[in-house]
Amino acid sequence: MALALPLAEQVRRNKSATVRLFVLVFLILGGLVFSVSLYLQVPLVPALVLALVIGAIYLMISSASSVPAILAAARARPANPEVREEKLLMYAVEEMAVAGGITPVPKVYVQEDEDINAFATGRNYKEAIVCVTTGALKSLSNEELQGVIGHEMSHIRNQDIKVTTYAIALIGLIALLAEIVLRSMFFGGGRRSNSKEGGGNGLLLIIALAFIILAPIISRLVYFAISRKREYLADASGAELTRNPEGLASALEKIAATQPTPNRGDRTVAALYLDNPFRRGHRASAFSTHPPIQDRIARLRGKA
Amino acid sequence: MEPVFWILIALVVILLFYAISKRNGIVRSENQVANAWSQIDVQLQRRGELIPNLVETVKGYAAHEKGVFAAVSDARAAMVSAKGPAEKMKASNALTATLGRLFAIAEAYPELKANTNFLQLQDELSHTENKVAFARQAYNDAVTYFNNAITVFPGSLFRGGRSKKEQLAVPEASKAVPKVSFA
Repeated sequence: MALALPLAEQVRRNKSATVRLFVLVFLILGGLVFSVSLYLQVPLVPALVLALVIGAIYLMISSASSVPAILAAARARPANPEVREEKLLMYAVEEMAVAGGITPVPKVYVQEDEDINAFATGRNYKEAIVCVTTGALKSLSNEELQGVIGHEMSHIRNQDIKVTTYAIALIGLIALLAEIVLRSMFFGGGRRSNSKEGGGNGLLLIIALAFIILAPIISRLVYFAISRKREYLADASGAELTRNPEGLASALEKIAATQPTPNRGDRTVAALYLDNPFRRGHRASAFSTHPPIQDRIARLRGKA
Repeated sequence: MEPVFWILIALVVILLFYAISKRNGIVRSENQVANAWSQIDVQLQRRGELIPNLVETVKGYAAHEKGVFAAVSDARAAMVSAKGPAEKMKASNALTATLGRLFAIAEAYPELKANTNFLQLQDELSHTENKVAFARQAYNDAVTYFNNAITVFPGSLFRGGRSKKEQLAVPEASKAVPKVSFA
């Protein structure tokens, strides 16, 4: 069995991966601003400064409000210790927190939903939240529930919840920016001059326009790719915490056997769940937040 | 100045920083071990607090099983007074065994098994035992990490007189999977 790294070590290692992701997303953002300034013929430097200021404010606001927004969208409520099922869930979370060396113990929430699912969120591992659906509490055995909690605890340990919170905010920012520019162009806004441009410049403009249109999609694809990789990682390191890969594998099997009911909740946070609550991919796709579930089960059982 | 001189200076500075970061890493991992032990200690203490309540509750239904009560409270006292990780864990494992006997008795008293207070205590106790098992696992991981840090070259150059730490033995009965049974 591979060795579970001490939390502090895990956090340090994942920081570099996080930095790479954000450099990439920031490059896309920078490219977008560059394209916009070229297209609208605004000088680059003021455009960059303006984008930086707006971006920073946007990030601060959205990262501060994202956790309550996610909980509200999922209609999650704090677990009730008077109900035995939920008390046992709180125990399972506490046990996994001990196994993963996470203090304080994450807060436990419950989402009223027939689906078997769970997610972790929070701005960092000190303010983490684990949320499990009532469907999962009903259908999963203790061993399976522990496997699921181990997976979510790994998302917390791996800093995935933080990455996701900020990545969602950044992707939202890119989408917002692109939409504003595209709309203002449609309705004749902006300072686009109609004078003839040089041939080379015209080509550049087309590339810039293409980039404005594509930037939201590209940033999402980058994010999805990272998300899929992190799901495998959370599966593996979750099994390290429980020392029992079969628990999670059999929970995933139960999920695979059910179809998601039309789901409440915010689509942007689908990547936070144990498995995508909106769409159950059985084939690998660049647009999925999660790897194919059968593949995850096979890997957990050492058959991939 | 000779360029060779400057290259030598740069090399020394780089080596110095390398040594410092290696040394800090070892100190960090040693702190991690101490922290992991305190996590176990907290759980053992909590366990010690729960047991008198449990014994009282069982006494209310099965007062004549005095032998088991005495064994449990002896084992508990032994655990509370034990010193050092290895000894304390050994006492804790002995306590687990006697608690097993107490729960076996409870099986014979349907009224006791239906008592909500007893059920809650049983849930919480098995939860605490799980936490002890997971905390021990985290401790052993931290110890392995520390031992690697001070023995694998070149980290071994910066161990500063630290010696390898002992892993905590896993009791035979629970070797497979930390048990999660809520009877």
